[in-house]
Amino acid sequence: MLALLDAWFIAPFDYGFMRRAVVGGLALSLAAPPLGVFLVLRGMSLIGDAMAHAILPGVALGFLLAGFSLPVMSVGGVLFGVMVALLAGAVSKMGGQREDAAMASFFIISLAAGVMLISMGGSSVDLTHVLFGSILAINSTALLLIASISTLIVITLAIIFRALVVECLDPLFLRGQSSRSGWVHSVFLGLLVLNLTAGFQTLGTLMAVGLMMLPATAARFWSKRLEGLIGIAVVLAMLASTGGLLLSFHLDTPSGPSIILLAGVAYLLSALFGRYHSLAAKLRRKTTPLALEQSH
Amino acid sequence: MSERSSSRLQLHDLHLAQGRRTVLEHVDGDIKPGAITALIGANGAGKSTLIQAIMGELRPISGKVVCTVDKARRAWLPQQLALDLTFPMSVEELVMTGSWPSHGAMKGYCAAHYRKGREIMARLGISHLAHRPLGELSGGQRQRALIGRTLMQEAELLLLDEPFANVDSDTVDILIRILRQMADEGVTIIIVLHDMDHLRRLADEVLMLNGGHGRWVAPSALNHQHAPAQVVPFTLGGRHAGTA
Repeated sequence: MLALLDAWFIAPFDYGFMRRAVVGGLALSLAAPPLGVFLVLRGMSLIGDAMAHAILPGVALGFLLAGFSLPVMSVGGVLFGVMVALLAGAVSKMGGQREDAAMASFFIISLAAGVMLISMGGSSVDLTHVLFGSILAINSTALLLIASISTLIVITLAIIFRALVVECLDPLFLRGQSSRSGWVHSVFLGLLVLNLTAGFQTLGTLMAVGLMMLPATAARFWSKRLEGLIGIAVVLAMLASTGGLLLSFHLDTPSGPSIILLAGVAYLLSALFGRYHSLAAKLRRKTTPLALEQSH
Repeated sequence: MSERSSSRLQLHDLHLAQGRRTVLEHVDGDIKPGAITALIGANGAGKSTLIQAIMGELRPISGKVVCTVDKARRAWLPQQLALDLTFPMSVEELVMTGSWPSHGAMKGYCAAHYRKGREIMARLGISHLAHRPLGELSGGQRQRALIGRTLMQEAELLLLDEPFANVDSDTVDILIRILRQMADEGVTIIIVLHDMDHLRRLADEVLMLNGGHGRWVAPSALNHQHAPAQVVPFTLGGRHAGTA
């Protein structure tokens, strides 16, 4: 039994690439889910997806200029992501269009431009690499970059936490409290772009958003408190990234999709058996007796 | 004259528009601190527009709003709440967000803040709801929690847009008592009202909006009427300043 556990859970980490991969995955799992929780709460779940596409032309340009260099590609991704976010904001202000509509238009342009750029300068293998990532191929430099970005995100989130909460809950109140309230939204979008650039090396631009959104949406079935949502989402992301890596190692499946699919399984199980709003919760619906509630 | 100088909110020949449509013209007046000023008028008369302008959310076409109350000490409860009721937050946490002006965005709450929050909830009769999520509150309970936030905020200017709409009579009684206490403590309160009974119980000053103009009237002059809309059959013109 012990030998089996060792073979499944310990032995794979004898390999350096697996150790780096799991550390990268855990670092992302700390930073991405809190962002996802706030996206879900702000009713902006699809913005993460849009931003993931938006960074692609920048990543592609970095790739064309410097080959497969993560720092250059990341800088390109951040620059393009921020530019698309600003453009979408400007267009929505200009034409009275909602920001999500402008964002949806820009992200599909970005996706096409990114794929075009990579195809012009590389092979289909490169394209697959950028779109779907390769967590098993990250080197120490990439790992350092991912860990640094994740640390920066967690620290910044801690600093702007209350402002972010108030902005989600009641933007009007925040505007009343501070004339600089607009920065909260901008900083949040900036963190989103940073996180996606950290994630594209491991999971690819298209799937990086999975580790952000799936644990966050799954957590909604388990907690009604913000701290609970964030804590559960982080734990689910950690389990999914580590479990997905192990599955990929043992079953010889692609690592990125294994991680995201495992997070997907967590989401489906939560929707079926979660504490709140799940199918099971609806079936076992109980009410609190009035006397008990009043004594509370 | 002393009244004028002590006023912390003055309206000077305000001209307000929504898009290209003029809503109000030549609105003047000093809003008295420590008094409850009722804004009345038919639907579409410009009550919410005036409140938006006072809060700095709408720029006047001409004229100006002079407000010496610090921005963080102004509280506004609009008719259409921007509040996201699905947000996972309890009543106590909502009340505590009002400590922003004294506490800033970063520092954690200390025991004294929690004590003050609990005292406020007790005053409003919502102590038993402290840990209840916002989404599970009734309209009246929600309104009490929001007033709790303004108390926590130590608001010096409070604007309420029809706060008693869809609210039970117990809540109305509590809110009227609390608003009166706040006014006695020197808070400047402007409140949009439709109900004559509420007007009689609360208003010290009345600014009536009709036909794109504002007119100050004495609350006693409205007492024999049934609804504010019915007391403004005449067309107001020119500039009306000062209190009745």
